Amino acid sequence: MEIGFIGLGIMGRPMAQNIARAGHALHLYARRPESLAPFEGKATIHASAALVGSHADIVITIVADAPDVEAVALGPDGVAAGARAAGRSDLILIDMSTIAPPAARGIATRLAEAGVTMLDAPVSGGEPGAIHGTLTIMVGGPQPEFERALPVLQAMGRSVTLIGPTGAGQVAKACNQILTGAGVAAVAEAFNLARAHGVDPANVRTALMGGMARSAILDNHGNRMIARNFKPGFKSWMHQKDLRIVLEEAHRLGLGLPLAAAVAQMFNAMQGAGMAEEDSVAMLKLYERLSGVE
Amino acid sequence: MEVGFVGLGAMGAPMVDRLIEAGHKLAVYARRIETAKHLLNRGVRLCASPAYLAASCEVVFLAVTGTADVEHLVCGDDGLLEGARAGLVIIDMSTIAPRRAQELAAQAQGLGVEMLDAPVSGGEIGARNGTLSIMVGGDAAVLERVRPLLNVLGKTIVHMGPAGSGQIAKACNQLVLVAAIEACAEAAMLAHAAGVDFARVREAMLAGSASSGALDAFGGRMATREFARGVEARLHHKDFALIADTAAQAWVPVPVSAAVQQQLNALMALKLGREDTSGLLKVLEATRADRS
Repeated sequence: MEIGFIGLGIMGRPMAQNIARAGHALHLYARRPESLAPFEGKATIHASAALVGSHADIVITIVADAPDVEAVALGPDGVAAGARAAGRSDLILIDMSTIAPPAARGIATRLAEAGVTMLDAPVSGGEPGAIHGTLTIMVGGPQPEFERALPVLQAMGRSVTLIGPTGAGQVAKACNQILTGAGVAAVAEAFNLARAHGVDPANVRTALMGGMARSAILDNHGNRMIARNFKPGFKSWMHQKDLRIVLEEAHRLGLGLPLAAAVAQMFNAMQGAGMAEEDSVAMLKLYERLSGVE
Repeated sequence: MEVGFVGLGAMGAPMVDRLIEAGHKLAVYARRIETAKHLLNRGVRLCASPAYLAASCEVVFLAVTGTADVEHLVCGDDGLLEGARAGLVIIDMSTIAPRRAQELAAQAQGLGVEMLDAPVSGGEIGARNGTLSIMVGGDAAVLERVRPLLNVLGKTIVHMGPAGSGQIAKACNQLVLVAAIEACAEAAMLAHAAGVDFARVREAMLAGSASSGALDAFGGRMATREFARGVEARLHHKDFALIADTAAQAWVPVPVSAAVQQQLNALMALKLGREDTSGLLKVLEATRADRS
């Protein structure tokens, strides 16, 4: 298939590479030309998102936030404009960014008016999952388009699930961000407790991985905390943004999420502490700072 | 000068009364005109649109619910800015997002209209008695021009800084107030669960270091279980979205406010939004097997 891809960041670049590896033809557009360098000779480079929309069967977007998705999908030089110019009515846009469920529903409605079907398909699994094609992909949207897109999604992820109608993928991602945010905080808190007792967190981790408290986050994130490897991965400002989305939704619904709210404050503090560009596992350093360790 | 007023709610209505009693000539716009009819025989002029109101006034007060209401009144079709002459002063006493207050003031200034954000604290009683605390953001010279009017409504009028800073002060006010209400609810719950009468606990506390306006007013309503009167909790719920948003933008951790916000969310889920914020006690009670 002809696959368009927009958003060649930490996650997007390896995801696009996996699509090419699966034998699909890539059509790329990027605001910053340097992000296109790894694809030279391996993809068709276009001058706008609209041109990607004119040439692809499926366009994938993975950008920072709802206004970015809106600009790429619905802007004057956006994917929908390109699809219309090319007279196409069967284009699928798969948005893999993390945005609020109502924003996803709104963009899908406006895309439908332009004859483009949107699937919201945010991911979990971080940079390693993107590189190895083992992402978890949570999809919202209509079944037929999901099935058409499935081979492409499977090129990027190992667990691809149709959760429900449009927006349902983003709801699942919101749940995922509560679990990962709280999980990172729990591991950092536990390791900081061990440290305060003079106990080696590495030994604690090894022991706990054999018991009921074992988890992917204790395994992966815990390991990086012990190695003091705070390189992203997943930048803490994005986790902060995602939890803001979750809590804004909770406010709108009138729903108490006390744990997510507490964790979000730790992410706020990380931004103020200058850790925005570091991985969420840098939260360990925040705990240390609050314990008088520098 | 002729004074315009929009927003005849629990706070706005007594403010209008005070301005009339102070001898000011008032003009009013109300979305539902019937809510303002009773003012006709008190010499108040009713206007058909915010634009019309702005055209005939030198100062216009707003006391409405939220950011969207203020935006609509100021910038909407037939809004204040459409009818305003240069030199008009808009005094917005609503509680809205600080950033939007700043943006609206800038937009107004482009048309030669001055806008002050001037949210208040002190409740209905403060509005009736003219003892409100008024937190003002905007041009200090403009504040001095309208200070005589504000003196009719409030006892403490503090200039906080440029546009938007009054709303920041209000966010701080709400954060402290509602956290104190939640603390009262937790104290009431704890006392009750241990078989101690909270009314007596409150009486002692009011004479001690933990005394506060919240303990007096909201704690009082918890003690007598008069949840219907007071401040509609949905308004505090609304304010906490502004606090959370302001804190996240400023990268400030607000762990207590965040926890309080979730209790307010639960209060909304329990359909207690139209009752007083002392209903935070009911949220705690909802977790108990022995709840009344």
